[in-house]
Formats: sequence, C-alpha cells, structure tokens
Amino acid sequence: MYFFAALPEPSRLGDVLMSFLSIIFEGAPYILIGTVLSGFIAAFLPAKLLERLLPKNRVLSTLIAGFMGLIFPVCECAVVPVVRRLLQKGLPLSCAITYLVSAPIINPIVIFSTMSAFQNVEAKAGVLGSGGMAFARVSLGYAIAVIIGLLMLRKKPAEVLKASVAAGVAKAAAETEAPATPPFNHRLVHAMRTSMRDFLDTAMYFSIGVIITSIFNTQIDQAKVDLVAGTDWAAIPSLMGLAFVLALCSTSDAFIAAPMAAFSSAAKLAFLTFGPMLDVKLVFMYAAVFRRKFVIWLSVAMFVLVAGLAKPWTLLIDQIQPKPAAAVKTTPP
Amino acid sequence: MKAQRLIIHLLSVLLLILWGGVMIYFHISGRVIHYLPSDGLFRPLMLVGGIGMIVLGLFNLMTYSQDEGDCCSHDHDHGHDNKHGGGHDHVHDENCSHDHGHKHTEGCGHDHAHEHGDHAHGHTHDHAHEAEHDHAHGILEEGGWLGRLVAVTILALPLTLAAVRTPDQFSATAILNKNFYNPTYGTGARAEQFSLASKMEAGKTAPKPLPPAAAAKPDAPPPGVAAAEAAMADGTKKVTNKDLPAPAQDSKSYGTFTLEDLKAQVPQSKDGNFILEVPELYYTGGDVEVQKVLTGQMVETIAQVLPEKVNNDDGHRLRVFRMLVQCCAADARPYSVPVDFGKKAPEFKDMTWVKVVGKMNYKKEGDQTVPIIEATKIEETTAPDNAMIY
Repeated sequence: MYFFAALPEPSRLGDVLMSFLSIIFEGAPYILIGTVLSGFIAAFLPAKLLERLLPKNRVLSTLIAGFMGLIFPVCECAVVPVVRRLLQKGLPLSCAITYLVSAPIINPIVIFSTMSAFQNVEAKAGVLGSGGMAFARVSLGYAIAVIIGLLMLRKKPAEVLKASVAAGVAKAAAETEAPATPPFNHRLVHAMRTSMRDFLDTAMYFSIGVIITSIFNTQIDQAKVDLVAGTDWAAIPSLMGLAFVLALCSTSDAFIAAPMAAFSSAAKLAFLTFGPMLDVKLVFMYAAVFRRKFVIWLSVAMFVLVAGLAKPWTLLIDQIQPKPAAAVKTTPP
Repeated sequence: MKAQRLIIHLLSVLLLILWGGVMIYFHISGRVIHYLPSDGLFRPLMLVGGIGMIVLGLFNLMTYSQDEGDCCSHDHDHGHDNKHGGGHDHVHDENCSHDHGHKHTEGCGHDHAHEHGDHAHGHTHDHAHEAEHDHAHGILEEGGWLGRLVAVTILALPLTLAAVRTPDQFSATAILNKNFYNPTYGTGARAEQFSLASKMEAGKTAPKPLPPAAAAKPDAPPPGVAAAEAAMADGTKKVTNKDLPAPAQDSKSYGTFTLEDLKAQVPQSKDGNFILEVPELYYTGGDVEVQKVLTGQMVETIAQVLPEKVNNDDGHRLRVFRMLVQCCAADARPYSVPVDFGKKAPEFKDMTWVKVVGKMNYKKEGDQTVPIIEATKIEETTAPDNAMIY
C-alpha cells in the first residue's frame, strides 16, 4: 500500500532520511505527551501549589525533586517542555533543574530497561551486573542532578532562563494572590493552544538534533570508536561523546551499551548517565528554554561530573553489589 | 494583526496535521515495520501520537475564535505584543547583563513585573502584557518573519523529504559503519531472546533458573585483581574469552542441550534443514553445548550478503547478516556470520537477499569461536516481510 510506485534506491541520503524518520516516529509521540502535559500544567495547575507542597528548605526540596521522575516519569524529550511550565508555575529553579536532569534516568521505565539490557552481564570484580548497573546509573544520575540543582540555589531565574521564559516566571512570582479562575473551556482552549505551541517549539529543536544524529549514526564508521576503548581515561569521554552524538532515548540506550564488550563498566555507566542528560537534540531543546551561556555551563558541568565520577562510582558500587560468587575475591589464585 | 495571528495559527495547525499525517500514514500503510519494533509500545504509540497531533491541530483550528481564559483575551494587545516580541526580548537581554545592571539588583525577573516605570508608556504596557502572555507563545509567535520562516522550514521540510524519499532500508554504507566486521559472537544484550539453550530452559521450568554462572565455578575467574585490570587494558580479548569455550574454561555451558532440544524449538524445512535466523546462529557462538549439537547439522537461513573481510584471504567466504532493532531503525545493528564455500565464493551484489543452506561448523579464529555456515547451496531470494528483526 505504497503511495509511491517505487521506493528510492538505498543511498547515503536515504540512510540519513530513514534514520531521521525512525527517531521521529519513536520520539514525537513522547514529545506530544510532554507538551500536552505542559499545556495542562499551564492551564490547570494552580500556581504556587508546587511551592506549597515542597518543603520550604531549598536543599531539602532539591533532594526531593530528584525523585520526581518516579511520579512524573518522562523521558528526555518530554521533560524539557514540562520543566518550562513547572518553572512558570513556581517550581524553584534548583528543583526544576534537578528534575530536568534526573527525570530521564530516575524513572521506572528506564530502570527496568537498564536491568533487562544488562541481565546477561555477570556481576564480578570490576564488572557491574544488571542490578549493579541499574543502581549505579540511578544513583549517579541522582547525585549529579542534585549537585547541579544545589549549584543553582543562588541563581536567579533571569540569569538562567531565556528572557521570554523568565518573564513568565517573574509573573508567577509577582502574583501574590490567585487570579480569578477562568471558566473551564477557556482553560481548555488555553491548554490546547499552549500544547500546540510547545509541541512545535520542541519539535523544531528536536528535528535539528535528530538530523545531526542521523548523519552521525549512518555516516561515521563506529568501529573507530572502539580504538579508544582500551583505557578508561580515553574510553569514558569517548563513550560520552558517542552518547552525545547518538542521542538515544533513555529508555533504550542500555541495549546499545550492554553489548559493547570492549568497554569497561565505568565507561558504560558514563554513557548511560551522560546520554539522558545531554545529547545533540537536548542541546537544541535546552536552548529553547535557557540562555545560551547557561546551556554551555550546564553542558560543561554535566560532562565534568559524569566523566569525573563514573570510575569512582563504579568502584564503589562494585564494592557493594552482590556477586554470585563471593568466593572469587577470597580464593587466592 | 488579526490576519497575522490567523496565519500563524493556521500554519501551526497545518504543521501539526503534517506531523500527525506522516505518522498515521506510515503506520497504516504498514511501512512502520521498517522503522519500529513490533512488540512494545512504540508502534501503537506512534499511531496514537499521530492521531493526537491531528486532534490537537483540529481542536485548535475549531477554537480559533474562542477566548483563552486569562491569557490573550484581547486580540489587539496580542497583536501589539507580537509586533514587538523578538526585538524587545533582545534589548532586554542586554539590559540584564550590562547596561542597566545598577538598577536591577533584584535580577531581571523582578524587573519585568515592577521596574520599568521610567520607560515609555507603550513599552511598559507591552511589557506587562508580555509577562502575562508569554507563556503561551512559541517560536512561531515570537520573532520576525525570517525566524518564523526558518522555524516552519525546519518543522516541515526534513519530515516531508524523509517521508517521500526514504528507501525503507539502509544502504551498505550505513551497515558497514555499524561495526560490521567486528562481531563478538555469542555476546550481546539480546542473548536471552536469541540463544537456543536459554529459550529451552525458560520453557522447561516456569521460574527460570539462573544459568550456572562462570563465577560459581572456582576455576573460572582469572586469578586476582590484576586480571580484572588487564581486562580493561585489553578489553576485547579478555571479555570475549570469558564467553568462549576456551580449553581452560567451559564457563558458558548452560547445562545439557540435545538434538531433541534443538528439534523441539527450531522449525525444520521439508529437507530437514534447521531454519535459524542469523542472530540465533550468532549467539550459538557463546554456548558450547549448543555448538556440540549444532556442529554438522544442516541449517537454512535467509539474510543479506556483503563481502567477507575477516579471515578471507582465499576469497572462499561471504558474510551474511540481519539487522536487529532495539527501539527504532536508527539503532539497528547488523548481526552477521561468515558463509564458507570451500572454494571461490560466488559473487553477489552487495545487500542481495539470499537463502543459504549449509552445514554448521565452529572454528576458533583469533580469540573467538566463530559460527560458520559451510554452504552447500546459496540462491538469491526476495526480502522477507520483516526485513528488520526485533
């Protein structure tokens, strides 16, 4: 049932187009979910409700925000528009950024897919098994999200957000009392219009990112990446670079990482933690919400934290993960 | 201003319908089989998403003239806002970081709401409205016509081009770029799904027992931490070795596997050939018990062909592969095994679909046990309906 008599012959352009289309098909529904959610947040969530629910202590509320992904599970495509709306509904900046960074990792779907992807990897000295890897990923993701969130404590929204977004936040902050509640259909129209605008906004940045990813994905010889697999100081940043350009969905990236036999657990952990935080499409999507300077700062902070923590974190989790044979370590050679 | 708002609104609706339409078309035409896996949420979600986009678009089309509650209820203000949008933002940006720093001690956010009294009246007015309205404005509402044109182009062009010009399959270039000639037989995230032995175990006993892991055997692990360190420095070899039936260790024996087991779970052709997919053959490289049974058996598989570049100095071999997809075609990886002809291999155009019949054999080559089809017959065939394996 093709519209077109014959499909074009496979070609380099065709590879890019096919890859592009498949990522759009995979990701666009999630963007729609995220933006419809953001539309309804904009129209229906009472301003200040979040502020009232979260503890007054910003450090404590940031710590809690790291777990919000368990309640509102969204992957990295959907989280950006949602965070924008939450900010405008009075969610403190530190909490919003922590949620932004942690939600694509600390969410039930991602935890489950990580465990299934690594189920055939045996836990042993220096190698994280499925439970160990999932735990390491979640805990490292949480730690980094909270660190970045806490670094935001002293920042003003206007220093970080694009002027147009900051304006909405300022408005929310200026409102001392709740405005008169407009009728339901007005709110619904408002929700749907916001959804449409947010969807097109997000989809445009998403498209740019997916084009770049698709070109990389199909046109670069990935065997070359393996050349640097040998040592951790090269392997960790190079797998992070790979995560950046491949821009995989956080629900599926574990399946790509698990079979990379040449790479250490630390490098895979870096791949799995960094990818959901930052990749080609996310840079563009962040740019829709944040000032350019902040996007750069955020990217650098994420990179440094993941690169620096992946190895020690792996060693730490390795110490506490249950191994099928504890005898391994005690039996002398 | 009203006309401008109408145009932007209609454009937005059209873009949504375009996105939704492409997704629905690829779903109901069945072409989605080349893009997304059959199981799991992705395909139904794509259809629902496509329908959702069109519903969202149509809803907004029909409610164009309606008020939006507290936001944008005054059309003339709205228009005014649009007119100034982009330039204004920009100016403001600069205000924040440089010029007006001295008077904006509270930061820009505060500013918006309170501190622009000294500006021209119109400006303040505009400002207040922007603060109030802005949360509903997307890229199409902000900025000038050039920016809008670019945004609409980015939203419409790549998707349209891809929908019209996609070949529904990858070229050899893309497949070779995906680490085609570096297979690590028997290892990978999908062993559970494609390895013969574990399927059997899962079938036999309801709560699947863990395979007797290497670590359970005292002789299995290489001695000491030094070995673990070495494994990192010398990644491929060590990791692969562990999964191989190397003389020193038979760590990956998943219990008994008999010819009866094979017959029970693998369909046979009318000539008695076991019909196996390439990924299944690939994963047999990790299980000695399966190898013992399968060695010498006639197998049959349908796959695509590319030239062999590994251990093929005499040109007796081809490599056949299938693409295995996790979540979408972009993450498809080739799973391949060599086909040996014992003489000069026949020539096929790259990527040709072939049916291979041959005897299974396992050879230690380099540091791996390689599953090899020793071909007795190879013929061109048509592509199966599901070119991608999920």
